Amino acid sequence: MANRLELHFNRNVLLAVDDSENARRAVAYAGYMLGGVPGASVTLLHVISEPDEDYFGRTEEKQAWLEQYQRRVDAFLEQYRRMLLDAGFPAEAVKTRTPRRTCPSIAECILAELDRTRYGTLVVGRQGLTRKEEFLFGSVSSRIVGHARHCAVWVVA
Amino acid sequence: MESMPSRVQIHQLAARWLAEGSRPQDLRIHTDTSDFFALDAGDIMVLEGRPYLIRNSIREGRFGLEDEIKHWVKRSVDLETGAMRIIKLVFYERFTATIGGIEFECFRSPRKEARILDLVNDHPHFMHGRSAADEKGNIVRVLEYISGSSLAAHVADLEQSHEPYFYSTLPGILENYLRCIEAIRFLHDHGEKHGDIRRDHILIDSDSGQYRWIDFDYNYRHRENIYGYDLFGLGNVLIYLVGKGDVLLPDLRLRDPALVSRLTDGDMNIVFHNRLANLKKVYAYIPDSLNRILLHFSRGANWFYEETPQLLQDLHEARADIR
Repeated sequence: MANRLELHFNRNVLLAVDDSENARRAVAYAGYMLGGVPGASVTLLHVISEPDEDYFGRTEEKQAWLEQYQRRVDAFLEQYRRMLLDAGFPAEAVKTRTPRRTCPSIAECILAELDRTRYGTLVVGRQGLTRKEEFLFGSVSSRIVGHARHCAVWVVA
Repeated sequence: MESMPSRVQIHQLAARWLAEGSRPQDLRIHTDTSDFFALDAGDIMVLEGRPYLIRNSIREGRFGLEDEIKHWVKRSVDLETGAMRIIKLVFYERFTATIGGIEFECFRSPRKEARILDLVNDHPHFMHGRSAADEKGNIVRVLEYISGSSLAAHVADLEQSHEPYFYSTLPGILENYLRCIEAIRFLHDHGEKHGDIRRDHILIDSDSGQYRWIDFDYNYRHRENIYGYDLFGLGNVLIYLVGKGDVLLPDLRLRDPALVSRLTDGDMNIVFHNRLANLKKVYAYIPDSLNRILLHFSRGANWFYEETPQLLQDLHEARADIR
């Protein structure tokens, strides 16, 4: 019994972010709640959802797009990392991950990252979509809440 | 014909469409289609050794624009067979579409359309064609011409009031439309989107009577739900068919102000707030099972379809109730 608890209950947090205000709030909240807590660690995750090949006229355009996007991602992840260090996390307890994936569903890609590792908690910001936006585009946080298994999910609204 | 035909050969093939007295040396022959503005009526395009005579550029309304000329789409004649063809040249377009006040990024992709043409090459509910590369590697799509009107025009032209339409005509239309939705499911099952589902992108083939999807070169950058915009399009077409046209709030205010006072925000289309989704409030004989489907596309919906099989299942069940 104790081993199964250890598998699911730990202080390793996967914090899925983008460059939105909602994500910033989620980072701030995680820092507030867990900063300075012994054993707590955070991995800041941004899944780079590669656009369809169709989006680009030429292959070189895709490479340039990805490079520019990676720079943007690195910039906001660094900001979020600093927020967590300021909140009391030791440097070795904050990591970043930016896997590149083809993502029919961002939520599924985030959950796939969760499956690969031993995170006890997944934290996401809630986008605050209007109903028609949610209808047309779907909601990452709603899908995560509906499909996450074997972990806690914090949705920061 | 696999090798490049000579100017004289092309002239002989095209003679019956050309002005009397035209000469081979008068022909403008293009093997590079990169600049589609340079391809005019009366010019010849040669794609992989096959010559096509350009007749004109297609016109189509889009996003409220009437009869916009699509210079990259040419009505043409396959000079080997004499058959009419629609030839779509390469046009990479990216723009931000605004639908009901929501912005999202759309783009045109010749590669996507070519891929789908391969996928649906003998599917009865899609347009057919093939892709061919010009000398610069541009992916040109050569489409079979479908003779017939759009589903939108067909319904708009029906001279029936709603109740007789609902009981005698709609069941047949829905049977065909169900097959169209199943065709979209086929695309989704293969990881493809249509990208531009509209009621004037279904043509009723006058030769076969089949309903056939056209124009799948649009794509959109999806967010969480890859097929959300396609599903929204399917719902809009369904509401249009059940209502025998859009049921618009301004029209209802003129026709039946008392009815309008009984409508709520929740009864309206989730994106187009001036269109009624809860059609049973106007046409009380619409069965609940069908109306419930329409309500999944309304502002009052507490649950949205995420996948075409869900819509198909509900619609299959509801059609039995239209008697």
